[in-house]
Amino acid sequence: MPVDLDYLSPSAVDDAVALRASRPSAAFLLGGTDLLPQMRSGRRSPETLIDLKRIPELHEIRENEDGGLSVGAAVPLADVETHPVVLSRFPLLAECSKTVGAWPLRQRATLAGNVCNASPAADTAVALLALDAVVNVASTTGRLAMAISELFLGPGQTALMAGDLVTEIVLPGAAAGFRGSYQRLSRRKGMDLATVGVLVGKRDGAPASWRVALAAVAPTPLRVAAAEELLAAKGASAAREAAELAVAACRPITDLRGSAEYRREMVGVLVRRGVESLG
Amino acid sequence: MSAPVVGTDVPRVDGLEKVTGAAKYTADLKFPRLLHVAVVRSPHPHARVLDVRTDRAARMPGVRAVASGRDFPLHTGIYLKDQTVFATDRVRFVGDPVAAVAAETPELAAEAAAQVHVEYEPLPPIFDVEEGFAEGAPLVHPDLGSYEVVPWIRPKAGTNVCNHLKIRKGDYASALKGSWKVFENVFRVPQVQHVPMEPHVSVARVDLAGKVEVHSSAQSPFTVRHLLAHCFGLPHGDVRVHVPYVGGGFGGKAGINLEPIAVALAMRCRGRWVRLMVDRHEEFFATVVRQGLTATLVTGVDRHGKVQAQKMHYLWNCGGYGGYGVNIVRSAGYTCGGAYEFPNVEGDSIGVYTNRPVGSAYRGFGMQEIHWALEQQMDRVAVELGIDPAEFRLKNCLGAGKSTVTGQLLDEHAGRVDLCIRNVAKAIGFEPDRERTPYRGKGIACAVKAPAMPNDAASSVILKFAEDATLEILISGIDYGQGLMTVVAQFASEALDLPVEKIRVKGCPDTDLSPYDWQTVASRQTWATGNAVFRAASEIRGKLCATAAEALSVPAEELSLRGGAVVHEATGRALPFERLVMGYQFPDGHAIGGPVAAASSYLPEGLLFLDPETSQSAKPVAKWTFGAQAVSIAVDPETGQVTVEKVAACYDVGKVVNPALIKGQTYGGIVQGLGTGTMEELVLDPKTGRAVNASLMDYKIPSTEDVPAEMAVDFVETAQKDGPMGARGIGEHTMIPTPAAIANALWDACGIRISEMPITAEKVWRALKAKERAERGAKAAGEARVPAGTVA
Repeated sequence: MPVDLDYLSPSAVDDAVALRASRPSAAFLLGGTDLLPQMRSGRRSPETLIDLKRIPELHEIRENEDGGLSVGAAVPLADVETHPVVLSRFPLLAECSKTVGAWPLRQRATLAGNVCNASPAADTAVALLALDAVVNVASTTGRLAMAISELFLGPGQTALMAGDLVTEIVLPGAAAGFRGSYQRLSRRKGMDLATVGVLVGKRDGAPASWRVALAAVAPTPLRVAAAEELLAAKGASAAREAAELAVAACRPITDLRGSAEYRREMVGVLVRRGVESLG
Repeated sequence: MSAPVVGTDVPRVDGLEKVTGAAKYTADLKFPRLLHVAVVRSPHPHARVLDVRTDRAARMPGVRAVASGRDFPLHTGIYLKDQTVFATDRVRFVGDPVAAVAAETPELAAEAAAQVHVEYEPLPPIFDVEEGFAEGAPLVHPDLGSYEVVPWIRPKAGTNVCNHLKIRKGDYASALKGSWKVFENVFRVPQVQHVPMEPHVSVARVDLAGKVEVHSSAQSPFTVRHLLAHCFGLPHGDVRVHVPYVGGGFGGKAGINLEPIAVALAMRCRGRWVRLMVDRHEEFFATVVRQGLTATLVTGVDRHGKVQAQKMHYLWNCGGYGGYGVNIVRSAGYTCGGAYEFPNVEGDSIGVYTNRPVGSAYRGFGMQEIHWALEQQMDRVAVELGIDPAEFRLKNCLGAGKSTVTGQLLDEHAGRVDLCIRNVAKAIGFEPDRERTPYRGKGIACAVKAPAMPNDAASSVILKFAEDATLEILISGIDYGQGLMTVVAQFASEALDLPVEKIRVKGCPDTDLSPYDWQTVASRQTWATGNAVFRAASEIRGKLCATAAEALSVPAEELSLRGGAVVHEATGRALPFERLVMGYQFPDGHAIGGPVAAASSYLPEGLLFLDPETSQSAKPVAKWTFGAQAVSIAVDPETGQVTVEKVAACYDVGKVVNPALIKGQTYGGIVQGLGTGTMEELVLDPKTGRAVNASLMDYKIPSTEDVPAEMAVDFVETAQKDGPMGARGIGEHTMIPTPAAIANALWDACGIRISEMPITAEKVWRALKAKERAERGAKAAGEARVPAGTVA
């Protein structure tokens, strides 16, 4: 870690964006649970840290008129997963959040940070994909909204431009009401990255809507639209076919946590189980 | 006599210090103007060192000392001196220290270390133990024949074999020929790391008069001093080693580790404290690891299910240096038959140098590794013969009147593995006619271990009183969690009938002031230090009674100790210790006695060397501790995930000194066994030899959520003849049988065998698929018999 590190803590989003633009080698700091270890190991070496935690706006969790929820970038995961609106309308996000690290870590780690780190194994990203979340971004050219499905490009890579600041993540009211499970295989039960993560959600209705999203089995978190459409048409009895579609959609690699072959097969097993449990 | 103290849940005497943070560990200590060390490590697994240029690093601002191999040519190593402070002509694993820098800040040290120029000529590396053992393999230590070695370790010059212990008992070849059925299997165990909570750290200073002082996170202050003195050619009296509280060691801090590098640098900047602290990344590959093992077992049984012929071929992957590891090879040799009586044995335990990280002591000292093989082999044989695995073990296990692989005849004091087997079988519900549920299974495994140490390894203690009759006990055994300080207080309390509250155990030794202790390893402290405590207490009692007898004008033999006083039962007269410990003063003013203190020691008696050709010996070790574990598991047939639901453990510990502590010790051992058994393996890149999972992100040990839902722990108390109140060692044994028991339960649950540790979900899944394929194939071929799915 560099000895000479500038630490800045602006109190407004626009100031943060302006500071970032004036400093070519800077990084935004939220909980730091990804950034600081990366700096310590030399994988990242910003000369300036712009701490966003003093910006009041980023700490807000706001209920929207459409029944959705806006989660400020600096809100820790622990507050997200215990929020009454999340628990009642977006329980799958709470399910996924609970598998990130451990409770003390989630007091610091943020939803926005988990998303911006863009790990293929990011547990909360799976829920956000499934719930059609929108990412609000501030930049020197103004503010814009980006669909989460457009955000992830590859391991550690997002569609954000250098200097873009994620201000909040919006869960649209239209995505409320999905229930289901986030099944996750890992080498040990507590505090481990997913070897395979599978979210299966369902919202009752005529017809029922389905969500199938995967972690750690492709360069980015993945949503399997084909499986969702099939399930909407045929219902839970199509669990096996849906599982096959998910297997076809995933592109796992072999690494220390598991082989590509194992991961692919587990996608099939877990999607099938997830669907069957909602049948 | 007051109520017994030994056998009760006396709270940890170091508990308050540890929970409040008052307890200081090496990295907590503050030193004026401390210098920080960065080590230049080999990026190559095997290479010649052609040149080391440190001049540029030495000139950098803030750099106070630079040291490299040519400055410190002496060899070190506890049993086989095969290592120099820094590599001189050759590096032998990725991480092998080549040079080091001490600078004013860690950053400056790291920058300077990067400026040390080392020229290497890469050599072909060996990672695989069989490759290293093969004839004509490139030599990791071409000078092996010239190294200094203790007489009972046998390196083979001109090969990569750093030790070979042979067991030849009975007539194996004939017995094998005469066997009804013969079973042969190969088992493998990878290198794993200890992962102590506190990584290695050593701080050293050489003062202006040339005296060396070291503070280190170490298991063995005196062995550190001894080896430092040898390595730097210093008188022992000029080397002083302090060991503060230690945050876990598990064998990884036994012997000598970082200390020589810190001292080498301190010699070049006299008067300055120099601290070498490895980070978690380096801890994984640059300190020490557990050795890997490839075990080939052949078992010949007769029609009655009794093993007649047993061959055990253990190849140990020792890594780049074997200074300590050679003794694991020896220990595994004379224990090669585990908890069983084998009448005809051919055993070979062979240590092989490779270019992997350095193998060293790890809780169990080779025993978990060989039991992984042996206990699965016994299970396979039992199943193939159609005998209940618990019954088969009872039929073949050691006990009074049986002889070990070294021909040692056990007597009735040796401990009862049979009772442990019955105990855990009952606790886990291992009845042969139990109801079967698919993908749920039960497995059992035994364990045995003796302290693996030189025959003359000793412990000693000093007992002395403060003015208020507080008893102060100086020990040099390290309490790094196992509860030694508490146990010592209990023994002294029992021996002197003094409340534990009146006892202070000084558990952070200083070699200048503390009594000698060989090492805190080998599950030997309760036993060896405990014996020394009783001896010293006996001397204290004698001194107190002699003074009291004179003071009370009664015969000393009529006096007894009770609740901190010397009591004359017949007259009811008593003198509290306070009036005796600094000498007794009569009413007329004249005084007798004097400050009461005693020093005593314990050295195991009657141990005999092994025969060099056959390793037969009537008493090769001080004691054996036997035990068994049984587990029940559930397997997810589609994902291969194994859940260990319950573990039952039972050991014959001779005497339970502190039930709470021994239960904690056992729970910890089970969980550590679960870790090595199901998740741990230090993985090297096969091309570069670099550890690819050298972080806590990539190398997992169990978390609290992985702890089995139920652990039933019990003990048998067959008193050890030379144990303090009958106690024998238990620390390491608790993790020995766990992986094998899980493996055996896997067979019981779903008919698969995993012969290579760890049992990961993916391996189980592959084995289940292989079994399914085999069953389909067998069905297609119309065969009745279904072969088991077995994978490495």
